[in-house]
Amino acid sequence: MNRDELYTIAENWFHKQGWKSFPFQTQTWTAFLQGKNGLLNAPTGSGKTYALWFPIVLNYIKANPDYKNKHKPGLKAIWITPLRALSVEIKQAAERIVEDLDLQMTVGIRSGDTSQSERTKQSKKMPDLLVTTPESLQLLLASKEFAKTFASCTAIVVDEWHELLGTKRGVQMELALSRLKTVAPKMRIWGISATIGNLELAQQVLLGLDSEAYQNSVLIKASINKKIKVVSLLPEKMETYPWRGHMGLHLIDEVAKIIRKSKTTLVFTNVRSSCEMWYQAILEKYPEFAGDMAMHHGSISREIRQWVENAIRNEELKVVICTSSLDLGVDFAPVESIVQIGGPKGVARFLQRAGRSGHQPGKESVIYFLATHAMELIEASALKKAVAQHVVEDRIPYLNSWDVLVQYLNTLAVSDGFFPDEIYEEVKNTFCYQNITPEKWNWILNFITNGSQSLQAYDEFKKVEVEEDGRYKINSRLIAMHHRMQIGTIVGDASLNVKFLSGGYIGNIEEWFASKLKPGDVFTFAGKRLELFRVKNMQVLVRKADPKKTSRTVSWMGGRMSFSAQMSELLREELYAANNENLSPELKALKPIFERQRKESIVPGDDEFLIETFKTREGYHAVFYPFEGRFVHEALASILSYRISLLSSITFSLAYNDYGFELLSDQLIDIQAVLDNNLFSTEYVHEDLQKSLNATEMARRKFRDIAVIAGLVFTGMPGKPIKSKHLQSGSQLLFEVFRDYEPDNLLLQQAFTETFEHQLEEGRLLQALERINKQTIVWKQCMKPTPFSFPIITDRLREKLSSETLQERIKKMTASYMK
Amino acid sequence: MIININNEHFTLHQSGAIFWESKKMLLISDVHLGKVAHFRKHGIGIPKDAIFENFTRLSAVLEMFDAETIVFLGDLFHSTINNEWNLFSEWTKQHAKRIILVEGNHDIISKQYYTDLNIEIYKELIFDDFLLTHHPTEREGYFNFCGHIHPGIKLRGMGRQFLNLSCFFRKPNQLIFPAFGEFTGNSYVIPTENDKVYAITKDEVIEIALN
Repeated sequence: MNRDELYTIAENWFHKQGWKSFPFQTQTWTAFLQGKNGLLNAPTGSGKTYALWFPIVLNYIKANPDYKNKHKPGLKAIWITPLRALSVEIKQAAERIVEDLDLQMTVGIRSGDTSQSERTKQSKKMPDLLVTTPESLQLLLASKEFAKTFASCTAIVVDEWHELLGTKRGVQMELALSRLKTVAPKMRIWGISATIGNLELAQQVLLGLDSEAYQNSVLIKASINKKIKVVSLLPEKMETYPWRGHMGLHLIDEVAKIIRKSKTTLVFTNVRSSCEMWYQAILEKYPEFAGDMAMHHGSISREIRQWVENAIRNEELKVVICTSSLDLGVDFAPVESIVQIGGPKGVARFLQRAGRSGHQPGKESVIYFLATHAMELIEASALKKAVAQHVVEDRIPYLNSWDVLVQYLNTLAVSDGFFPDEIYEEVKNTFCYQNITPEKWNWILNFITNGSQSLQAYDEFKKVEVEEDGRYKINSRLIAMHHRMQIGTIVGDASLNVKFLSGGYIGNIEEWFASKLKPGDVFTFAGKRLELFRVKNMQVLVRKADPKKTSRTVSWMGGRMSFSAQMSELLREELYAANNENLSPELKALKPIFERQRKESIVPGDDEFLIETFKTREGYHAVFYPFEGRFVHEALASILSYRISLLSSITFSLAYNDYGFELLSDQLIDIQAVLDNNLFSTEYVHEDLQKSLNATEMARRKFRDIAVIAGLVFTGMPGKPIKSKHLQSGSQLLFEVFRDYEPDNLLLQQAFTETFEHQLEEGRLLQALERINKQTIVWKQCMKPTPFSFPIITDRLREKLSSETLQERIKKMTASYMK
Repeated sequence: MIININNEHFTLHQSGAIFWESKKMLLISDVHLGKVAHFRKHGIGIPKDAIFENFTRLSAVLEMFDAETIVFLGDLFHSTINNEWNLFSEWTKQHAKRIILVEGNHDIISKQYYTDLNIEIYKELIFDDFLLTHHPTEREGYFNFCGHIHPGIKLRGMGRQFLNLSCFFRKPNQLIFPAFGEFTGNSYVIPTENDKVYAITKDEVIEIALN
């Protein structure tokens, strides 16, 4: 069959649906059928699924013209989706094509939700088209004779690649692809990405740096220009707007109005706990919504989530309170309005959420922005500008993630084993490990075989064994089992399943929250009031609570997000604009706040750098306002407090948000000395950062994830009681042991590198310091906290830095006793 | 730091050990020997040099005091037998002392191993009006020395300052030892008005003010 005949099949199918193919779809078909790899840049709801399912199917038809009568078994294509929730949708799309074209192909899903019996069936006979997640793909690589399974595969599609890029799951994907290129030589590699700032790089990371696959690839842009309208929800009276971040509940009536007038509304919150609180608050104030309202976040059980997703599709729900768990994929046609509660921290995320509404072609997407505190309104104003100017952030891919490499090599060792020389070449061609040296590679091999760099007689370390033919293999069934359990856990705190005493799984909460609860305590979770019966074997057993008892809302640690560089710049522009006559509606609404700020201090202009000092019951505060985003402030606070602590012995507690940072001490902070000694200097920035204790604290936290991924923390199977209690240890403890006994361990070093590059963003820090050095420093000694300072000084999540001795500090401190 | 209980003098050492002067007895709890080796045996690459630290510290604290007897208040060995036992066996031969183990929940290896090294094992021990156990135990007329919970204390000060430290935790009729072993964690206690907390740092033992 020639290409025209194949296209006729596709176009006819589109015609039957009453659709017309978009140019980006046919471009993708052509490139695919020409044997090219590529990256497709297309938003959700644009028909991107059909842009790639079709050529996969057409390619099969081309190779098997008698496809209606004769079926050729074996895996043909793999579709990777970062969220399990999306797999059903993707499978259905494929099934529609398969059925309508009379193909005898089977479509299957393999993810954490797939039953054991289904998996066994698949291992015996793989479906023709497989929809799966990055973790499940790794697990396939950990099975015996995986190479045979993949040999016939002609395509792999990595959906939502922008979500994976810049995460360690993305690195997992890079490694899996490096292997698949060898075992499935006919395989085309395709990615699908929403718009990000660095699409070309995304393409290179997916296909491998300067690889053959990359040389033979294309970048196709859907260029669908979607109209997005941003509306800020403003209260009638600004005086009552809270100064610091609450939940934004003061605007609940405005949100209710939006819910009423829309068919379906999605209310996005940034964290799971505020999702729970909003759900409760709406239920209490507007009980009439009870039957039409649902909640959706990552810790709620899969059954409930799937039910919610289906209910949205079937127009059975008026409003869903959700978190980023509904950011991706799934096409919800009935959604008319989106409400974003609190700053989304990034333009791309905001656009993606806005795009969840108005899916019909040509329809405008409306997103309502609800600022939880006054300062966030500046963010709203900046976001509007970003949307208008099409400013989108980059996603920065990881480099040298040794933890993921250790995990991957163990995975290969669990399956048929591997030969280092062959795998080294593959790994070296990935983007992440482009700079790997033979020394580093040997270090990793030693680590997985000896648990260290040298063998010693008394040592009983056992993991990967080197066989006579040079094959690296894990032979212990117990260790293999432990490893398979760990593959899925690339991130996340230890979580416990919440179950009713009478049976019935509700979801999971993090261990640290569970540890704060005593039997009899009442907490609200998944919209239910639950009383803790007991915690046993990683299970939280609960029963329905007495409605009169007071309850608390479950919270999750989660990652705090930071402004991107692009967003920070827009934010600064907006803020500086506050001193002009021509104000946006948001800035106009903020007028009373600005007036209040000006009473004690100033609203800085673009040539001014503001420092405020004041004393409260808590101690001496110094607040600095670079408006550079949370992560840069974290670094600035570390470096500045470290430099001050060299002048005299002092202890600081540090806090930061996206606008500025605070140094708090029990002693007066000498700002004049900061200015006289030029402590904002750009010299020795790297050295000072490294020496500041704060960086160590941050590295300690990074190490937690690294230790889990590299298999140093045994978490056991989620929900299954841990039989190996003696193998448990905190990652805190691990960090200290490594720091004290193996400071040159690559995994430990990685924790520091990640801290400096991903968390502290050293590059941006330097730029910020350069900018501050050009500005005039305005130091205001205030009588009391200003509106600008309020959200920062009330933040309780803090770091510390001290140049006092431990003894000095202990003598000034106390332990509180139970009264 | 020297404290006085029932007219006996006890020296609290920053390693987590206590020296009982009149009995020439060194009391140590929760060493968890073999923990690092146990992890390594199961494919978890904890730095193996950490194994030696426990023995270095045990030797150092022995040298500090003129002890005739060492009493381990339980959880001497972390889990099932491994090669770290051989290191312990050598260590006991170098230090010719009477060694007593009060059994803890982690002490699951066969008693034969201990008796081969002439280590005496008891469920509990009584000297005068002192009761030595692994699990905290209250008994009329006795002051209880025990371990098991690995006590730690959280401190706070002006300017939102916080510190977490391991500690000796003293109740009116009980003193709970901190874990001696490297690579063991803490569980944080909240004292009552009648309790005393002695925190340990690298260099000294400090009594903590309660408020």
